[in-house]
Amino acid sequence: MLKALTDRFGLPVSVTILLLLWFWLIVLVILPQLIMIDYSFRPNLLPAQMGGPEDGYTIGNYQTLANNDIHRTIFFKTIWSSILVTFLTLVVCYPVAYFLAQLASTRQAMLIALLLVIPYWINEILRTFAWYLILAFQGPLNAVLLGLGFIDRPIRFLSGDSGVLIGMVYAYLLFMVFPLYNALESLDPNQVRAARNLGAGTIRTHWRIIIPHAKPGIATGCIMTFMLAAGSYAVPALLGSPGSRWFTQIIYNWFFEGGDWHMGAAYAFVLLILCIGFIALVMKVFKIGLGDIGR
Amino acid sequence: MDSRVQLQQLSMSFGDFTAVHPLDLDIRSGEFFSFLGPSGCGKTTLLNIISGFLTPTSGTVTIGGEPMASVPANKRPTSMIFQNLALFPLMTVAENIEFGLEVRGISKPERRKVSDRLLELVDLTGSGDKRIDDLSGGQKQRVAIARALAVEPRVLLLDEPLSALDLKLRQHMRSELKEIQRRTEITFIYITHDQGEALTMSDRVAVMSAGRLQQVDEPMTLYQNPATPFVAEFVGENNRIAGEVVGNDNGRVQIKHPSLGVLEGISTEAMAPGTACSLYVRPERLRLVGEDASPVNRLQARLDVVNFEGAFLMLESSIEGLSDPLKIQTEHSTMPASLTKDHPVSLVFDPADALVMPESAAEGGGHAQGLD
Amino acid sequence: MSAQRFFHYTIRVYLVVFFLYMFLPLIIMSLATFNDSRFPTVWPWRDTTLRWFGELWADTAMWEALGTSVVVGFGVLALAVPIGVSAGLFLSTYQGRAKNFYYSLMLSPLLTPGVIIGISTLIFWRNLGVSGGIGLTIIAQTTFIAAYVMLMVLARLQRFDRTQELAAQSLGATHAQIVRRILLPYLKPAIITAAVIAFLQSFENYNTTLFVRGFDTTLTVYIATKVRTGLTPAVNALGLIMIMVTVLAAVIYELLRRKDLDKAGKGT
Repeated sequence: MLKALTDRFGLPVSVTILLLLWFWLIVLVILPQLIMIDYSFRPNLLPAQMGGPEDGYTIGNYQTLANNDIHRTIFFKTIWSSILVTFLTLVVCYPVAYFLAQLASTRQAMLIALLLVIPYWINEILRTFAWYLILAFQGPLNAVLLGLGFIDRPIRFLSGDSGVLIGMVYAYLLFMVFPLYNALESLDPNQVRAARNLGAGTIRTHWRIIIPHAKPGIATGCIMTFMLAAGSYAVPALLGSPGSRWFTQIIYNWFFEGGDWHMGAAYAFVLLILCIGFIALVMKVFKIGLGDIGR
Repeated sequence: MDSRVQLQQLSMSFGDFTAVHPLDLDIRSGEFFSFLGPSGCGKTTLLNIISGFLTPTSGTVTIGGEPMASVPANKRPTSMIFQNLALFPLMTVAENIEFGLEVRGISKPERRKVSDRLLELVDLTGSGDKRIDDLSGGQKQRVAIARALAVEPRVLLLDEPLSALDLKLRQHMRSELKEIQRRTEITFIYITHDQGEALTMSDRVAVMSAGRLQQVDEPMTLYQNPATPFVAEFVGENNRIAGEVVGNDNGRVQIKHPSLGVLEGISTEAMAPGTACSLYVRPERLRLVGEDASPVNRLQARLDVVNFEGAFLMLESSIEGLSDPLKIQTEHSTMPASLTKDHPVSLVFDPADALVMPESAAEGGGHAQGLD
Repeated sequence: MSAQRFFHYTIRVYLVVFFLYMFLPLIIMSLATFNDSRFPTVWPWRDTTLRWFGELWADTAMWEALGTSVVVGFGVLALAVPIGVSAGLFLSTYQGRAKNFYYSLMLSPLLTPGVIIGISTLIFWRNLGVSGGIGLTIIAQTTFIAAYVMLMVLARLQRFDRTQELAAQSLGATHAQIVRRILLPYLKPAIITAAVIAFLQSFENYNTTLFVRGFDTTLTVYIATKVRTGLTPAVNALGLIMIMVTVLAAVIYELLRRKDLDKAGKGT
């Protein structure tokens, strides 16, 4: 490893590269995760109990999660809602990415890319806050719906899960659009023409030619969106109500309200396992490797 | 200035694959020397060893009498011109040329003097401030040459530098390169798979195949007296007739072909009767004759193709019993107008123009893959 | 009208709706800044006012949070860019068997939820006696922002013609000279882009920061707190300013990039 580097960069630069790399991977990435896992298997003890008979490994923290009906329900709701968010985002983004990659002229594509990039750079909190204003009980959305006569009474969007779902789709759109676009861009338009020439309709062409080609992009987009949704704290905190809590909010509470970091670590590890599981599942379903992600 | 390059027992292996079998070679000071061979023959590997980019598995490289084993690439008295030129796109033309001097810590005014002189040498006076992307292919070529010359190498290594140019420019650059070499008296080591380039520019050419030197000689000698069947077939056009030795006297060899009968040629080595051999005769040595010509080395053939090549005609005619058609090069004037496709023709060649070589000389003619 | 034309027509209508969905919330949020209402809203419109900018200006907590965000942003930039560049150079050089493993490991912070990066950093450093604050925020954010830098540097390195390095070597350059004169100038555009993106990522981060901030408040955390407690249109004023600054930065960056491309001829 050092030889390949020194052959190219010489010794001083190579050593610098390796030191920075190891600092990142070991001190910032690997060790904190390992310590967190270790933490999650230990009980929360008073200083006096340290080193005592109870100071050992335990799965008690995980049993708490398994036995707590409310936490369990919120955990499964988080999974289900994140999958729903991922699916909705895919559906919303696919036509945009397809147009951008295959149909748009160069000028159109530049304009659309710019229009997409601008909201991307705006703070997630601000974007979520914007929806908070729109969905407010006395906000513009209710005013419009009332004015058009669709509803008789204003709707409380912010007291159920619907506000959270809308806000998440909005917040994580771009993590779906760009991977999709990258994958679709490499599709030779002649393949689409050939499929049409052979008599395939629009839907069949998409189903048999375009979507299979976009698989790595779909997989990357879904992984990113699911991870962001399941791990989101800002959106449910801003757009949700006490009745629509998210798993991350329980983790936060263990840390800063319950004061039990060990419990919080266990819950966090469960969330991490969930995300890893989802990534593994998507990679298996789409038959792609980790190396295809992020390229 | 002594700029001899000596290779002693030099070899290179990559894992199980031997790219260069042990070889010895002495390249003279100030010589234009070419390595010629198909891709994968090991010539680029040799160049990379001389330049110091690769460390040989065994053997030594000596330049001007100094062994190079412990000298890294950036300290060797060589500089290299790459197939893709590898100009630095973010630097101007002058900065490219001056790069080698810059890294040696030479002052800017001094550098500027050198690059001005070199720009003049390669006919690009006044282009020093241009961007690389604004140059044509031929101009880039010249910048690459100037950049390599700026560090005053004793040996210039050229890795097929003309292959990206179109035919006209390529031919023009050949004479320019030769001219620059003559003026600078630097040893040029040139590698190419294009025999035209190798034969026109070089003082001597080493023909390589499958990691072995086949023959090292002046271009004329390579063409007229190929040492191995590989050289005979690779350098210039040649017709090959396989047979078996039946007679042998004073350098004259008779061979027997199962359907063409006995043919006569010359050979530099004595071959016992029964030896499997090949007879080579160049297309320009085959003559079309009437029915009444001498019966020695006369072949009856059928005309297949007449190719107009500008200055001459190249004919192809098939003979029963030979797998490949014979190629005949002929002048327009000696070609009877009545001769057309499918016409029977008689061909003869002088035994002195036909070279007979034993098949066993084909050693090393196998195909190497995976490396160039 | 053929089915295909119909399809193309539909997709254009869809695009219009899509971009309304993208921009309407931002426009409404911006408009609400100018409504003279205690609660930020565009309906009903009471009176047009600029007073919320004044209130924002007078908010010392906001200024303090902005200061913290800038310090954290530069800290992350100073740490994540060298790490990301090193990682990119490493991946483009090392061809060994474990290359895929290293790549996956370096990518993993991007696939890990932000809250978990925050939590693990918090726990790990507490064991070493370091508690939450600006320093820990820089460390936690660097963990995943370095991966973004790595991806950008790697993408540019993949288009790099390595014979340039051999050419420089053959002309007598040392390894250090090649890095300084050939490699870094080539990487410069990617490094600048990565630095800008690293700063913005840091500036807008919430999920990770939340766990490691200690008693320090970044601007993003400040906004989130304001939204939940004590919401006034001053938050909108801040949002509007941030949107303007980001759009301006994006446009300037884009213009500079184009100018650079023009200078480089057909682009390199």
